[in-house]
Amino acid sequence: MIARPDKDTPPPTPIGRVVATELKPATPHQFHFWTATETSIGIGAIVKVGGDGTGEAGRVVYGVVTDGFAYSDLATPLHDVVGAEGDPTRAAAPTTRQEIRYWTAAVLRQTPEEPLQPVPLGQVYLAADADVAQALRMDTFLYSATPTAIPIGLYTSAGHEAPVYLDADFLLGPEAAHLNISGVSGLATKTSAVEFLLGSIFAHFPAHKGRIAALCFNVKGPDLCFLDQPGDLSDEDRQRYQRLGVPPTPFERVRFYAPLKADGVNLNTLRTHPDLVSDVEPLTWGLQEVVDFAEVLLNKDDIDAKADAFIDFLRDRVLGRTFDDGFGGTHRVQTFADLDRLFRSIFDGLEIASGGRSGSDTWRTHHIATIRKVRNRLLNISTRCKGLVTDDGPSSDLPWKEFTDRTVYVIDIANVDPLGQDLVFARVVSKLREQLERRELGVDAVVVFVDELNKYAPGDGSETYVKKMLLDISERGRYLGMALFGAEQFRSQVHRRVVGNAGTQLFGRMDMDELATPGYQVLSPATKSKLATLPIGELMVRHPHFTQPIFVRFPKPPVLRGRDGVGRFPPAADVPFEDAVVRQLVRLDRRVRPNQVKDLIAEREQDDVRRALAAVRHTRPDDVLAYFRKVLGSRVVPAPALPQAQHAVPPLNTISDEPY
Amino acid sequence: MTWWQALIDAGAVPAAFVPPPASRAGLGSDIDAGTERADIVEDGELQAHPVPDRSAARVPAAVSFLAGIERWSVVAYDGVVQIVSAYVAAAIRRRDERGRLHTTRERSRAFAVAPLQRMKPALRQRLEQMAPDLEPMDGDLVEQPARYLERVESTVRRVRAGIERELADACIAGLPPEEWLVLDGLLSRSPAVARHPRALGVIKSHGAQFLEGRGLERALTLPAGHRTSVFAVRGGHTRTEVYSWYLRLWPWEGNDLLYGLLRVEARADRETVARATELSGWLWAERAPLATPATRWDRLLYPLHNVEEYLSALAPRQPQLRRVSRLPKTGT
Repeated sequence: MIARPDKDTPPPTPIGRVVATELKPATPHQFHFWTATETSIGIGAIVKVGGDGTGEAGRVVYGVVTDGFAYSDLATPLHDVVGAEGDPTRAAAPTTRQEIRYWTAAVLRQTPEEPLQPVPLGQVYLAADADVAQALRMDTFLYSATPTAIPIGLYTSAGHEAPVYLDADFLLGPEAAHLNISGVSGLATKTSAVEFLLGSIFAHFPAHKGRIAALCFNVKGPDLCFLDQPGDLSDEDRQRYQRLGVPPTPFERVRFYAPLKADGVNLNTLRTHPDLVSDVEPLTWGLQEVVDFAEVLLNKDDIDAKADAFIDFLRDRVLGRTFDDGFGGTHRVQTFADLDRLFRSIFDGLEIASGGRSGSDTWRTHHIATIRKVRNRLLNISTRCKGLVTDDGPSSDLPWKEFTDRTVYVIDIANVDPLGQDLVFARVVSKLREQLERRELGVDAVVVFVDELNKYAPGDGSETYVKKMLLDISERGRYLGMALFGAEQFRSQVHRRVVGNAGTQLFGRMDMDELATPGYQVLSPATKSKLATLPIGELMVRHPHFTQPIFVRFPKPPVLRGRDGVGRFPPAADVPFEDAVVRQLVRLDRRVRPNQVKDLIAEREQDDVRRALAAVRHTRPDDVLAYFRKVLGSRVVPAPALPQAQHAVPPLNTISDEPY
Repeated sequence: MTWWQALIDAGAVPAAFVPPPASRAGLGSDIDAGTERADIVEDGELQAHPVPDRSAARVPAAVSFLAGIERWSVVAYDGVVQIVSAYVAAAIRRRDERGRLHTTRERSRAFAVAPLQRMKPALRQRLEQMAPDLEPMDGDLVEQPARYLERVESTVRRVRAGIERELADACIAGLPPEEWLVLDGLLSRSPAVARHPRALGVIKSHGAQFLEGRGLERALTLPAGHRTSVFAVRGGHTRTEVYSWYLRLWPWEGNDLLYGLLRVEARADRETVARATELSGWLWAERAPLATPATRWDRLLYPLHNVEEYLSALAPRQPQLRRVSRLPKTGT
């Protein structure tokens, strides 16, 4: 933490002097100064102007360098040519021309703040720690009785490093919230910055603001799969951690979730190394979990008023209830398999009722075409998202209402079908919002990290459910305690209300084409140039308390980077069905003997085994093997199939053939 | 409040005459007028010698450059008596091994110039009270304003030459071995400087003619990159004999006879003759960088220009500001 300014500290040495001309005057928001030719300051440096000696003693102005110029007393380049007689090799002259290093700085803060006046033509000093705190208005939340400072990195200039803090009230709510980070891909800046910042938040989130957790969607590769494993840190990084007061250790509590693969037993993640896979919880949902988010899975053409009404009917009147289909059958629909049986019963009933004649084409006021369309779409979900959505059996979900403080929940959906990614995102965020609203999540605030906002919340394109949800978080999340940390490559192509609502914005190295877009017009050419060449580990920060963008360095995150993690913990190959079942049971109970399991499931239907396995995961009994044996049931020798009348189900119409 | 404002408050009439640029700063110290006697000390008659190309020139590692400026303007009238505010300054800037110039010595003087005996007693008393530095003048030319101003100009120039000489003497007294001093103007004003083995005077104006006949023609039509034979300069205003030669920095063809023409002064010594070509090569190499935007860049060495710019930056601005407008003021 920055020490309060000491009045006995000797005055620093000036490094420049403010100059103002009629053409380039000093104003309340900008000033110009010159320095020695050999100077350590550069673009992004924070400087202090003292009014002493200008008749404005006591007035102090803080500014950040936004542009720099160098020129000599050469009147025209032609004179240099003449002096060198047209020969560049003769350009070296005995005397070096008088040069100037001339800088433009944007005012960060003036003290006193009223009356707001042009910057005095005083001497310029490099900002020390306390000056940086003053300049960035960090003193208000750094030195208050209830500090809310979250370290974001170190401001570095001229060999000097000063911690820069964000205000938790403006990063995580309720004053402002959300963070957006942009930068080109492949430099590990965006993910690393978020990893570091989450660690910093966990270390510094003020106690009076309650408990906090983070939920991260891993949408590409193994990026977030090793947050609990230590990475390699240099001594320099460790010093930076010490300077920032953040422990250089991986996250203590991380819970990983990943859907299953289509086989229903192997995990669909890159964290499948035998040493680590036991920490990964399967994420599987059934009909109950999915049907509320049918809108996510059905495109806009599907969701007309009739289909919507039928889905509502199913949700309100059918699912989870004992339901009479009107043709003599009673159903209790809890799984996709149950739902399929209900649909078949309806189609058969309508067929029989019509006696082969046309005319009986409605059921409970719903047209058969609508029923067929909804049936097609819903049952297709379990096919397209196989592994995430199960046809039957209990679900395996996040620990709703039991979120714990300072815990990172990673949901790995990197290898999931885009439809499944949308479903996961929509449902998880909806549940978070719902439980935060009721204050029953288990924590008071949640950071939701979503990468690839270009994909999920594009500025153009159709209004998807996910985009609407992201907009909702952006605009209402801060009241609930939900902060969206979004990352993308091209900020200009993300929905402007998503980026606009982000109180804090981070910029890594940017593409020049991106910097040429209107959103970056407020930046000086020099700042853009710096952004285009920003090294790994350096960011430009915009925060409500900072009146100008500030460049900071952050240490390498103390966790194993995705690609390093895959190297150190290579993903295991998919194992055979029996071995996968054994692995999951052993994870739940180490006393389970593989041979016992293999004997149990030998010659059993895989669907039965999956159902039993899901039941075990759901129940988590003390004696896993016994419970597994019980739910699997005894082996029954299949009876020979009896001839029975086959009621042909008419083929389902395609959408284009619908009668209306 | 400045002293002339106090004077105006006491009844003097405000004035705003600033001499035209041609007669102001930069010309003073190296004004070289009249016909002087010169004896050729190298060759039988004046010859043109090529100087080494820039790449072959031996430029001393450390050189100090001395130049000065002067500014003056009429600031008030007591009747027809013109009261002048003047400012002169001189500085030495040393060139380090990286080619950068750093000020090592400087001196300035801001003073009033007035014929006290011709002023009204009240204004004279006020001037004597308020002006921190006063340079009295004879009052015999008061009734001839133009000639009076010529005398003012020569007075100011004399004061400037005085501080330049003081600086040169002080510099020469402590000049380290192998280090040179280059003066903007006559070397011969100070005996100590004129006799120093590592002091050069660079004269840009050529009011004084030392040569005649064929020698004069050779000197004034000297090709670029050539020097004349060395000749001795004595008599006239020079109190100490020095050796001198002409050096052409830029081709004069297409311009005028004096374009790019320098006259160099060095101590009167056989070694000077022996090293004239080498020293000329050095000064030839000093053509770059160009001393633009100075109007006399063709014969003004950049380091000397830099000294003048340095002094100009430090000079008080009042005389310049008063030249902004001479239109009659309105009633408001």
